[in-house]
Amino acid sequence: MATTDESTGTWFGADGQVSQLRGLLFKAGCLGATLLALFLVFVFLVYVAIDAIEPGTADPAWWATVATTVAGPAIVLSIYYYRFAPRAGEVAYTALGLPVAATLLAGGVSIVFRHIVSPHEWLALVVASLVAYGALEFHGRARDAGALERVVVGAAVIGLTIVGVPGLVPSLRTLLLSLPVLPMAPLALLGTFVVPIGVGAGWSVRRARESDRAGLIAGGVTVAAAAIGAVAGPVVGVSWTTWLVLTTVVGVPVGLYVERVYRGGKGVSGLALPVALAAGVVVCAVIVETAGFAGPDVWIDWEFLTSAHNRTPREAGIYPALVGSVMMIIVVALAAFPVGVGAAIYLEEYAPTSGLSGSIVELIEINIANLAGVPSVVYGLLGLALFVKVGELRPGIVIVGGLTVSLLILPIIIISAQEAIRAVPDSQRRAAYGIGATRWQTVRTVVLPRAMPGIMTGTILALGRAIGETAPLLMVGVAAVVRISPRSFFGLFSAMPRQLYSWAQLAKPDFYHGVLAAGVLVLLVVLLMMNGTAILLRNKYQRRD
Amino acid sequence: MADNQFGRDAVSRRKFIAGTGAVSVAAIAGCSETSDGNGNGDELSGEVIVKGSSTVFPISDEMAQRFMDDHPKVNVTVDPTGSGGGFENHFCPGNADINGASRLIKEEEKNHCAENDVSPIEMHIAGDALTVAVSPENDWVDSMTFDELAQIWGDDSATTWSDVNPDWPDEELKLYGPDTTSGTYDWFTENVNGGTHRTEYEGTEDDNTIIQGLENSPYAMGYFGYAYYSENKDRVKALEIAESEGDDPSAPSLQAASDGTYPLARPLFIYPAEGALEREPVYEFVKFYLENTSADWIADEVGYVPANQDMVDENMTKLENAAGE
Repeated sequence: MATTDESTGTWFGADGQVSQLRGLLFKAGCLGATLLALFLVFVFLVYVAIDAIEPGTADPAWWATVATTVAGPAIVLSIYYYRFAPRAGEVAYTALGLPVAATLLAGGVSIVFRHIVSPHEWLALVVASLVAYGALEFHGRARDAGALERVVVGAAVIGLTIVGVPGLVPSLRTLLLSLPVLPMAPLALLGTFVVPIGVGAGWSVRRARESDRAGLIAGGVTVAAAAIGAVAGPVVGVSWTTWLVLTTVVGVPVGLYVERVYRGGKGVSGLALPVALAAGVVVCAVIVETAGFAGPDVWIDWEFLTSAHNRTPREAGIYPALVGSVMMIIVVALAAFPVGVGAAIYLEEYAPTSGLSGSIVELIEINIANLAGVPSVVYGLLGLALFVKVGELRPGIVIVGGLTVSLLILPIIIISAQEAIRAVPDSQRRAAYGIGATRWQTVRTVVLPRAMPGIMTGTILALGRAIGETAPLLMVGVAAVVRISPRSFFGLFSAMPRQLYSWAQLAKPDFYHGVLAAGVLVLLVVLLMMNGTAILLRNKYQRRD
Repeated sequence: MADNQFGRDAVSRRKFIAGTGAVSVAAIAGCSETSDGNGNGDELSGEVIVKGSSTVFPISDEMAQRFMDDHPKVNVTVDPTGSGGGFENHFCPGNADINGASRLIKEEEKNHCAENDVSPIEMHIAGDALTVAVSPENDWVDSMTFDELAQIWGDDSATTWSDVNPDWPDEELKLYGPDTTSGTYDWFTENVNGGTHRTEYEGTEDDNTIIQGLENSPYAMGYFGYAYYSENKDRVKALEIAESEGDDPSAPSLQAASDGTYPLARPLFIYPAEGALEREPVYEFVKFYLENTSADWIADEVGYVPANQDMVDENMTKLENAAGE
């Protein structure tokens, strides 16, 4: 029999009936909030997509062709996978997403080789790094040196090969670059970009298949596919360098994935989806071409991605701003990551936790958290004062923009890195100390490897924020219209959000409807890629536990 | 374990030597001269930084685009910062080569420039018909005099339309205008209001905001350069302007501005820095700019009054004098 307990009585209701009303209301409220948020985001995306694609301008027959040749088969296949072959469905969506993501990545790599590291510079860098690695390896084997000597020799070798002493000793890298004769740009890339990737691909196939022959074939196919570009590239209408990048950055991951699916033998039928889609696109293109159906008047097309701003809306493009954003993000990552992670490691692992100094550390931590909420315009002013007025750098150049934005995301990186480091269980640190490891060894071999995926996730999300920042760029004098991509980190640049902002101000309505929407879509895709990478990293990390 | 057999190195030294040998031969075979042969060494290259008025921006941007078609290696960046903002933050500190202005340079700006050894050269390059516009739904007013404009914009005393004219509705004025950093603001203050400007209005450097404001409220009013009006003629209603009560009011148009019948016609300027003209790309750009100020496309595509031949000649003389020193 139930005990007549007073408090239980009030808790469950005196009449013995449990009221579910409040719970139901609460659930409905949460559902409403979710739906509202999704709806608002959805409306925004649809609005932007309609402006960028203008579906109304297409012939209805065009849409019908697309629906029957591309969308229809995809939907039928999806239903089939969902009902009958869930494993194949998983394969299908990875096989569909991987080429798309890899193509975007290939675009990024092409930008790097075109504007940031020329093929010759890359060749020199790779050769110099190989020499440095060989020298260090040789030193390590030849002498049983102490820690100090290793550090000194390491610094000396890197100094001589890669960095050089400004004004005194040129590095091996610069010496190589000044050679009168170097391999042609595509050949340099073939040797120093494709071959290493081919070796890596061959290696992984060799291990997985446990066969030397399979590994050789994989590596050989990679290099051969890239080398064919000397002939095939001009036929297709792309340069050999573009062909090289495409075959390695897109071909290798896709090839490896297909190989893995076949080897595993599960869900092979999933590979049909991308094939069916590609075939559908080809059929669709042929039908549309022969029947002469007019497609939609899209704003976001190849020309938009590859040309500069133009006073005629239809000819305007985002390319210089895209390159500027990539270069700025490189500066941001190089500047903010080491400083932020270093600060986080100190605050979590070394900083005093008790007494007066402990209170000071706590005060600093609270202030860092506060800084993460300071408006970005303020960081723009800070950057202007620090880098332009005091640092005497020119306003509007890549390095000033990048450093200013890295100030902005520094607090975010510190906080997320601190969280990641804090999530490493204390028991593991104690175990490390227990077997006699020093603090430095513990941090290096136990804490950092465990925390790194979390740190990377936080950093990538912060970089996603950095790539969308406009206000600090306005403050440091990034111009509204820049038609040439920066040639160095000290060149004038524009970034995607800055370009979007200037399109929003132009007088012609086509700019702030069509062109702006296309730019927003490009920015969203780049953001999606960065956030997707962060999610992949996190999933990998969670699985390992 | 099988994994070890394949995970660890099993490449023999002979294979390695053969492989590297083959790669080296391939690399040497594909060698080329490093000094790139496509260098027309005397092709013009460099940077030109243009800041300043957002009214002049459309002309400068079009000039930059056309100039870069001829000289693809010269990076001309154009940025609408407002006339005052450009002088104060970019041009006078020496960080810009050219500043656009929709009014004459002020004395304090000249001093600021002189402190940094920057000497601006004044060049009158085009004319604008400053446009006062209201919502298309506004049916009670078609024209205004300077006096009425000054009553509305001069100070904060007028809050409703009926404060200015009892025939107009008793509804609150919604005013949109350029920011205080803008040369348009300065020109309007000086020439229409007689030296003062109200502070209660929506100030912006983005003229689209003004157009949107006028579209959204029948009781709104704003003023901006003619170029924005010419792109948005169907979205706002421009007022005819008369200087004083008895005059014939005149609608804004480039024709009326150039023959002097439109009272809100005003000159537009660029101010290149004398020192910057010593750099070849800046000199060539300014020369190209001035030569084209009389072109028809200034009226057709940008929406301003092109310069006449006398103005072009005068500017060219100034340019040659400055560069010749």
